[in-house]
Amino acid sequence: MSTTSILRFENASLAAQPPYAQDLTAITLEVAAGEAQLVVTDMLPDGFPLADLAAGLVAPDEGRVYFAGTDWQARHPDEAAAARGRIGRVFEKRGWISNLDVDENITLAQRHHTTRPLAEIEAEALALAKQFGFEDLPRMRPALLRTGELRRAAWIRALLGAPTLLLLEHPLRELSNAAGAPLLAAVQAACAHGAAALWIAESFQGLENSRALFSKVWTLAGARLAAAKE
Amino acid sequence: MDGVGGPRYTPRAAEAAASMSVLGNIGAGWVENGRMWRHFFALLWGVLRITPWPRYWPRTTRNVLARQLLFTGVEASRFIALIAFFVGLSIVVQFQYWLTKFGQTQYLGPVLVMTVVRELGPLLVNFIIIGRSGTAMAIELGNMKLAGEVRALDAQGLDPFTYLILPRVVGAALSVFCLTIIFIVVAFCSGYISGTLFGANPGRPLLFVESIFGALQQADVLNLLIKTLLCGAMTGAICCAEGLSVGTASTEVPQAATRAVVRSTAALFIISALVSLATYL
Repeated sequence: MSTTSILRFENASLAAQPPYAQDLTAITLEVAAGEAQLVVTDMLPDGFPLADLAAGLVAPDEGRVYFAGTDWQARHPDEAAAARGRIGRVFEKRGWISNLDVDENITLAQRHHTTRPLAEIEAEALALAKQFGFEDLPRMRPALLRTGELRRAAWIRALLGAPTLLLLEHPLRELSNAAGAPLLAAVQAACAHGAAALWIAESFQGLENSRALFSKVWTLAGARLAAAKE
Repeated sequence: MDGVGGPRYTPRAAEAAASMSVLGNIGAGWVENGRMWRHFFALLWGVLRITPWPRYWPRTTRNVLARQLLFTGVEASRFIALIAFFVGLSIVVQFQYWLTKFGQTQYLGPVLVMTVVRELGPLLVNFIIIGRSGTAMAIELGNMKLAGEVRALDAQGLDPFTYLILPRVVGAALSVFCLTIIFIVVAFCSGYISGTLFGANPGRPLLFVESIFGALQQADVLNLLIKTLLCGAMTGAICCAEGLSVGTASTEVPQAATRAVVRSTAALFIISALVSLATYL
């Protein structure tokens, strides 16, 4: 397993201000290539800022957050945007562009950041879609898709294009426990190919039999993360 | 209060404080206005600066530009042509009629260029685009901001400036330019045909065309380019900025659309007046 650091929080703190509803204090964690870590928040958070901090969308009030060895704050905005193109993310809520079809949403980042032929991107997306139980890519507006299906479509988007980092915010929400198995397998395969994954969940529900996937498990204690498994 | 070192309260001091407060409010308003226009111009400058570079035009941004040209340009062309037809019918025919009546037909070309090419064409087309597409832009971006879609784009590495603002500003500028050309051509054609039908005696078609082209000067072309490209781009920049200024309440969206229309119209008239003055000076 490679030990290249993909994501590193160094004493990062952020005070809860809209749109965030949760303080974070002195967060220190590191996710290396090939590694998956789990953060259990033990609540139903709206506005949990960990993923936004990891993606450099918000700067910590104190401390630093590094992606692929570089501090987000030290990157030029163009460089930061390109770096975010290497992050696959399942959003906690929303995250869909309403005037694009779901398939267009899924391939949007790849079409924007790469020069890969569209047919190649769509073929990869279709393969992932079949892996996650779709017969074809959903070709309709996000508002017309059921929540559970939309959540599974978000998995396709997150895993498309072999991302360096996976930020999975509550990826099993609105789904049955059994439905998560294909995603867990896909995350495991992505990590085997050198990706790093940070999985955020409100509980262990659906993950009881998959703890071996995660090298570290963190629980939210107040505003701090406490290691539950080393 | 006396004896504690604070300022002594007197009616005159209160009056002075009230006057200062009024002046302060007026000043604060001007400062705020100055900041707002500086923001719009900074946005426009940012767009102009990155437009020539291909790396800011990935296929997704080109796709948004194509959609913008389709919506603002192609779909508006029939309505613009209709307005131009009636402008030709009412204005061009009148000029033909009165200039023929006073025996001053040699001024037909210059008068038409001055009225339709320099002023009316760019102004009316810009005005229609503000009402038709500017409001749509502000509302669309306002709703996207409200629904967290702008954040979702940012999180996927699609810079909202290059993905949302750049193609809309460039699309608005190109659409206004192309639509103004359509407007001018249709207005002159309808004017000539109506003049012939209503007996305004516009002369031979070639003579009519020659009188217009003969009256066109370099300054007119420059005037047309600035009034269409700059005003169109300014409309795009203002409407995008107002749309993206929406915060957390859905009631802010219509307010943003109203502000976008008012400010784009103000910018249009100010820029048009300044360019016209510069042309005549």
